[in-house]
Amino acid sequence: QFSALTEVLFRFLTEPKEVERFLTQLSDFATMNKISLGPLKNIVKSILLVPNGALKRNLSSEQVRADFIALGLSEEKASYFAEQWKVNSPTLTRLAVGQTLMINQLIDMEWKFGVTAGSSELEKVGSIFLQLKLVIKKGSQLENVYVELTLPQFYSFLHEMERVKTSLESFS
Amino acid sequence: MAAPRDGDLAALQILLKAPSKDAVRQLCQECFSSPPAALGPLAQRACPGLAVSAEEAEQLVSALHNLTRHVVYRGLTRAEDILCLFPENFHQNLKNLLTKIILENISAWRNEAQASQISLPRLVDMDWRVDIKTSSDSIVRMAVPTCLLQLKIQEDAALCGNNPVVSALTVELSKETLDTMLEGLGRIRDQLSAVANK
Repeated sequence: QFSALTEVLFRFLTEPKEVERFLTQLSDFATMNKISLGPLKNIVKSILLVPNGALKRNLSSEQVRADFIALGLSEEKASYFAEQWKVNSPTLTRLAVGQTLMINQLIDMEWKFGVTAGSSELEKVGSIFLQLKLVIKKGSQLENVYVELTLPQFYSFLHEMERVKTSLESFS
Repeated sequence: MAAPRDGDLAALQILLKAPSKDAVRQLCQECFSSPPAALGPLAQRACPGLAVSAEEAEQLVSALHNLTRHVVYRGLTRAEDILCLFPENFHQNLKNLLTKIILENISAWRNEAQASQISLPRLVDMDWRVDIKTSSDSIVRMAVPTCLLQLKIQEDAALCGNNPVVSALTVELSKETLDTMLEGLGRIRDQLSAVANK
């Protein structure tokens, strides 16, 4: 019984967007075990506080287990929860990092390159251009930024980005 | 750029009144570089140096502008081609002088035309920095490296006239985003070298 509930809880934690599914599963659980939904919701709310706090402070599974026991849960249930925690913590941590503030996050990049054949100033040209479209998340909206680069600019941009990658890798 | 008409080019003979060859050279360069709208003021500035009426100065400036732009448009590089453009009874020395000045400047002018052609906003400069995020409101302790990229983008030169607007855009990239971006850039490089090797 407890394991089924824990399973539902962790599924919600790892996919926080699936709110409806979580609520449906909770009401199913309530009907199956003949508990009313209201008190169950309250219990679940308080239970959820523990993993959230644990995530913030990067607690290990032993510490989570100790916390639960201190809160009055039986040892067996607390150990079970701690086990589930250990299994799920990488996903949960990654989610939490993903939620961290990012300024003007780059979402997508599209590109095209071609040759300028002619213009109103020059009858025959034949120079290469590269156009990038950067999709950036500003606040909650997406903004498209269009940039044109010449060939030498492209090569130095590529070079700089490779330097950034080396730098990032040395820190991971 | 249509070929300049004989009547226009006749106006160029006003240059015979110019004080020196350098003055002619200077005027040629200014006429090429100025957009059609600015030719009026340019003519007014040239008036005193040439001791001609305002009307004649305007005709001269406009003729020079058309001639130089036409040569750059057609990409003429040989003296004979340029000499053909002048009408038959044009002053011989002036014709040679103008051809010589044009040939001297042709590649610089070509670059200038290419630099000022219409385009999407152009990248002017880029800077980057790598930060390590140590904590946030959702996680108290972490060590996540992230990259901040600042792109200086200049709006289309033709739209801004003499005051190009340069905007700075700062973008944040996570390691995954950077890897995907580099993959895309690598593909561009491969395609470019495939095209270059053909």
